[in-house]
Amino acid sequence: MSSNLLEVKNLKKSFGGLQAVDIKELKFKKNQLTSIIGPNGAGKTTFFDLISGFQTADSGDIFLNGDDISNSQPYQIARMGMIRTFQLTKVFDRMTVLENLMFSGSSVTNDSFTKSIINTKKQRNYEIELKDKSYEIMEDLNISHMADSYARELSGGQKKLLELARSIINNPETLLLDEPLAGVNPKLAEDLLDLIQKLASSGISILMVEHNIEAVMKISERIVVLSEGTLIADGSPNDIRNDQSVIEAYLGKDDE
Amino acid sequence: MLDQLGNGLLLGIIISVASVALSLLYGVTRIVNFAHGEIIALGAIATLFFSSPIDYRVLFLDKFSPLGLNFALSCILAVIICGLFGGLLELILFRPLRKGNVGNIAVLVVTIGLSIFIRHLYLLFATGKVQNFPLELQRRQTYLFFDMTPRNLKVLIAGILVMILIGLLLTYTKLGKAMRAVRDSEELSSVSGINSDNIILITWISSSMLAGLAGVFQAIINDVRWNMGFLILLLIFAGTVLGGIGTSFGAMVGGFIIGILVQVSVGLPFMEGHTEAKNAVALGIMIVILLFRPQGIFGQKERIS
Amino acid sequence: MSSLLISKRVLFAIAITSFSIYLVFLLNPEGALRILINLLTFAGIYGLSAIGLNVHFGWTGLLNFGHASFMGMGAYVTLLLMPHAAGREGEVTTTGFPIIIAVFVGIAAAALFGLLLGLPAIRLRGDYLAIVTIAAAEIFRLLVRDLESITGGVYGIISYTENLQKFRPEFINSLSLNYEFAPSQAWVGIIAWVSIILTLFLLKRLNSSPWGRALRAVREDEDAVRAMGKNAVWLKLQSFMLGAGIAGLSGVLLAFNYGSLETTVFVPLLTFYVWAIMILGGVGSLTGPIFGSIIFWVIISETDRLAYIFFENANGQQLAGFRFLLVGLLIMLLMIFRPSGLLGKKEELLLDVK
Repeated sequence: MSSNLLEVKNLKKSFGGLQAVDIKELKFKKNQLTSIIGPNGAGKTTFFDLISGFQTADSGDIFLNGDDISNSQPYQIARMGMIRTFQLTKVFDRMTVLENLMFSGSSVTNDSFTKSIINTKKQRNYEIELKDKSYEIMEDLNISHMADSYARELSGGQKKLLELARSIINNPETLLLDEPLAGVNPKLAEDLLDLIQKLASSGISILMVEHNIEAVMKISERIVVLSEGTLIADGSPNDIRNDQSVIEAYLGKDDE
Repeated sequence: MLDQLGNGLLLGIIISVASVALSLLYGVTRIVNFAHGEIIALGAIATLFFSSPIDYRVLFLDKFSPLGLNFALSCILAVIICGLFGGLLELILFRPLRKGNVGNIAVLVVTIGLSIFIRHLYLLFATGKVQNFPLELQRRQTYLFFDMTPRNLKVLIAGILVMILIGLLLTYTKLGKAMRAVRDSEELSSVSGINSDNIILITWISSSMLAGLAGVFQAIINDVRWNMGFLILLLIFAGTVLGGIGTSFGAMVGGFIIGILVQVSVGLPFMEGHTEAKNAVALGIMIVILLFRPQGIFGQKERIS
Repeated sequence: MSSLLISKRVLFAIAITSFSIYLVFLLNPEGALRILINLLTFAGIYGLSAIGLNVHFGWTGLLNFGHASFMGMGAYVTLLLMPHAAGREGEVTTTGFPIIIAVFVGIAAAALFGLLLGLPAIRLRGDYLAIVTIAAAEIFRLLVRDLESITGGVYGIISYTENLQKFRPEFINSLSLNYEFAPSQAWVGIIAWVSIILTLFLLKRLNSSPWGRALRAVREDEDAVRAMGKNAVWLKLQSFMLGAGIAGLSGVLLAFNYGSLETTVFVPLLTFYVWAIMILGGVGSLTGPIFGSIIFWVIISETDRLAYIFFENANGQQLAGFRFLLVGLLIMLLMIFRPSGLLGKKEELLLDVK
């Protein structure tokens, strides 16, 4: 039971009469790269919101490493090791790239109000280490030349890189990537995909919502398909490629 | 407690009408208008000016003599003046702000500044003293289970009729539907051919007329003061919040309940000797509602935080 | 960007402030120093309060329109803990704590009041928070008025100033004899400005600290903050408490400036004054409130002159009314035409309800 990373049971969420999510059972194992796909309105982002605590389900249970997180706050879930990104890239506009990262990497105790007033030697050393770590990640992702620029000056693609960098600075156990390739040029999409694969092989469990089917087929170990809030297929890329119900779901939507 | 019921109903109708006015405006423009109280006061002050006998010393500076008109006519004129005032505010202040993409918070602070400004204009140029309409004193009568003067009863009935009328207008007329459409989405409604600028202007005018009417009611029931609007502003907020922000029906009901609660609370045991704190009861209720059921009784659940 | 050591904006602010002070001397050939000390003391007190409000609005985007109640909380708690007299009979309390402790507790009480109010309210959307803070301040005022046995009600508290004035240094006394100003007020003024300096140091330190960084992130994007495992609500609460505590201190100073305290002091109009000062000085600017406050008080005190021009026989109520008229106008004009005030940065302003 607890060997599963993430488990979802009888998860239901509706908005004013529209059933957005209705999933009987879904389990995710550790160290896997799973993609969640489905036509528009399938409930993918709502699903993400529910498991990351940004929305509360009408009914059902969610377990992370065996712990019940159905009613947990987003920050609590993040502290348990599951970090998410957002469909509309969220960066801290009026802070520099470096500050964006240092904030994200800073522990809650380091951020403490009293500590910040006293400014102990320990805090100062921590900040120096934090800065080094931030630079390391920026270099890995090729954005270190923007370290002192304000995040709002970054291009769309660079913002995605920043959001990603921010999410991994604390070595999360699980990453929820919400459309990481959306609106990104093909070259950058390739780089991002490589990066995601590297992260997956370094031991991070990844759940990815994506519309780019080619990319999904390329790197996913497992694909979960949602349509109109329910699970309609679940398997390896090959299974999904040939699944009739999936094809219908996508075609059906196109007809509308 | 019951002997306050009459007062409660009267305060209730004032707050109710004023809350509907505020809710109407907020619903369509998303502005919390802190200057709402001043439009209410304008209704009373204008009526005072129109109806007081000629040569009565009603206004400061003694430069203008009241017009001595028929009272009912004065009320109507005053309400119209308020409507015009509201329209003017929209045209010269709020529309430019809206077009200039000024943020909500800035507009809110502007309405606070406006409220302070206008209120003290009244203090300096209208009346710093408590005034009354030129109406004869009446005695309270008992009707069913409450007491009030016959005139006040007429006010109560008139108020209720106006509320019913508004409700019907909003629900069944094209204009009402258009207002509700703009409330739900300004972009969508303009796409479907509704001129949102005109609707907003009409909303300002009607909301201000209603506010003026509330002021007239308040002045008949109580008196005319420069800060009469400010005094009940918080109660109006309470009524609107209780009933449900953005729903006129909610504001109607919420306003009434607040009015009754405030007056009736005077009779509660712990309130003895602290009757001025009756407002605190209503405010406390408002805070509790905002915490546990921010959409009020009839409102829609929006993302409040 | 400007290569000057001090930016043009700051130079302009200093210039206008200096001019305002000069104006005081110009318009008051007699007793200018006395008027100036009075003005600077009020400016210091209100400036401190505005600095607290700036933490709320400038740093965190919180719409607090009940600021006067935080000031009041600090004042009442502090005074009641020291020797004083209160109520209709002027009941004397001779025991009490040393002033340092009383002030400390007063500030803590104001901060706690901030916590109490903030716990439920901070999650509310901007305009709702505004209404709740106004309502809470009104409840505070009514409670203070009705709990006469504790707070002295409408009769208030008196005979407490000695607790502070007994520490007044000699040089002030001698100076006041030569230059004709009120030594007790000058003492309060000095303490106010020292408080401002200390508070600014504290805030500067916090701003560049990890905590300040976290608060800035909250201002930018709360959801992203939460996704990083940080408790955005708690951060906002802490900021609310900080601003409240600062306001509490300014309330204590205001009480010492007046010499007696009752229920007409901590009212909504006080809150509006502080808002006007904060906007004028520049939302989000640390030092903005200082300049805003001085200029504001020069305007306010010299407008009495203007009032006399308009109203030949102006009475007290009309004079006060004229002041408020100007305050309302000032707030409106600033928010419409120059919301960033003197030293604020337009990009820093959070002008949309989240």
